Amino acid sequence: MSDALAHLKKKFEKELASGTVALALLAVLARAPEPLYGYLIAKRLEDSGGVLGGKQSTLYPVLRNLEAAGLLESRTEPSVSGPPRRYYHITDAGREALADWSATWNATRDSLDTVLAGDSK
Amino acid sequence: MNVPVPRTIEEYLAQLRAALRGADPAMIQDALYDAEEHLRAELAEREDHDEAAMLAEVVGSYGAPEEVAEIYRDQEVTVQRALRTPRSPPRRSAIGRFFGVAADPHTYGALFYMLLALATGIFYFTWTMAGIGMSLGFAVLIFGIPFLVLFIGTVRMLALVEGRIVETMLGVRMPRRPLPGNRELPWLKRIGAMFTDARTWSTLLYMLLMLPLGVAYFVIVVTGIVTSFALVVAPWLTLLLPYHGVMFDGEPWSPTGWEIWAIPAISLFGVLLLFVVLHLARGIGHVHGQVAKHLLVRGGDRVA
Repeated sequence: MSDALAHLKKKFEKELASGTVALALLAVLARAPEPLYGYLIAKRLEDSGGVLGGKQSTLYPVLRNLEAAGLLESRTEPSVSGPPRRYYHITDAGREALADWSATWNATRDSLDTVLAGDSK
Repeated sequence: MNVPVPRTIEEYLAQLRAALRGADPAMIQDALYDAEEHLRAELAEREDHDEAAMLAEVVGSYGAPEEVAEIYRDQEVTVQRALRTPRSPPRRSAIGRFFGVAADPHTYGALFYMLLALATGIFYFTWTMAGIGMSLGFAVLIFGIPFLVLFIGTVRMLALVEGRIVETMLGVRMPRRPLPGNRELPWLKRIGAMFTDARTWSTLLYMLLMLPLGVAYFVIVVTGIVTSFALVVAPWLTLLLPYHGVMFDGEPWSPTGWEIWAIPAISLFGVLLLFVVLHLARGIGHVHGQVAKHLLVRGGDRVA
């Protein structure tokens, strides 16, 4: 029983993370004063905790997809430590999407908070 | 979980590659690139540069090779669903299948690719021939070897660019990131690995092959489309310009009597021919995508 519950919890966390990770990446890059590469973005999210502190390998494919959708742009720079690093920065379309998605997120969070508060009464 | 915890980055990547075995080779290349970039960055951050200790922690943060493989498999399914144009529902009837080709975005991608192939084919062929010729010529000179290495490097970048074109237009998944070399080896060995890598040579073959293929594709598309449109339109012109419009066997053709019925018949034939050309383009696009995938993306083990 607790095994099944643990599994369901993991599934819930995974789905929550995959639904919000794109928003989190846009937010991190919008606030960053300079372009960031994958590792630095991963570290910032790791510090923030919650479901987004999960496996960092999920971030790279999402970064690539956001770039393909035109919300991010990237350039590579050689690095001393290994393969060239890919630095991402947010585009105007990305900022627009961020504002849009943030509004959706706030509305969703508020409605969820209301429902959860109602549940506890 | 009988796989030992990797102790070097190379071991980690080898385990990741093993865990992804059987997946799309283009996706494997991207996954390896991401993992290597992340692990190298992680290692550079550490003060003690202890690779084994770093990897032990990374299994928790970035994920163990099997977990990462799982994540990429999942992601790939989602990405394919989200980014690709939804496939039009398969048509049941033979007629629906025949004319449905006009509603398939891959058809137009393939048509455009075939036109573009003339330009890219000429460029790839010229670049490759010039590179090979100059490399042979310079071989006796002191800068012959660096020149050859530089040339092979450009060919590998061209392979990535061509892969992007093929994925965009033909809808075949191709790598988005270059294939990383093995950083552990001294640079001379790494250069050597470029030459023992079968993909380098298959890429050169592909570049040379693109000239005849590009010319053939261009000719097929242009003659196919022009012939179809001519057959569709020309018969009706005989009605508009009875004595000067359409020449048939050296004589102006002005249909009379039963020949009137030849006008819609020929026109209809032109329409059918146009759809046959569309089918041909889509078919060639599919085959070419497979050829490109086999010659430009390695399926087996990576460069030593």
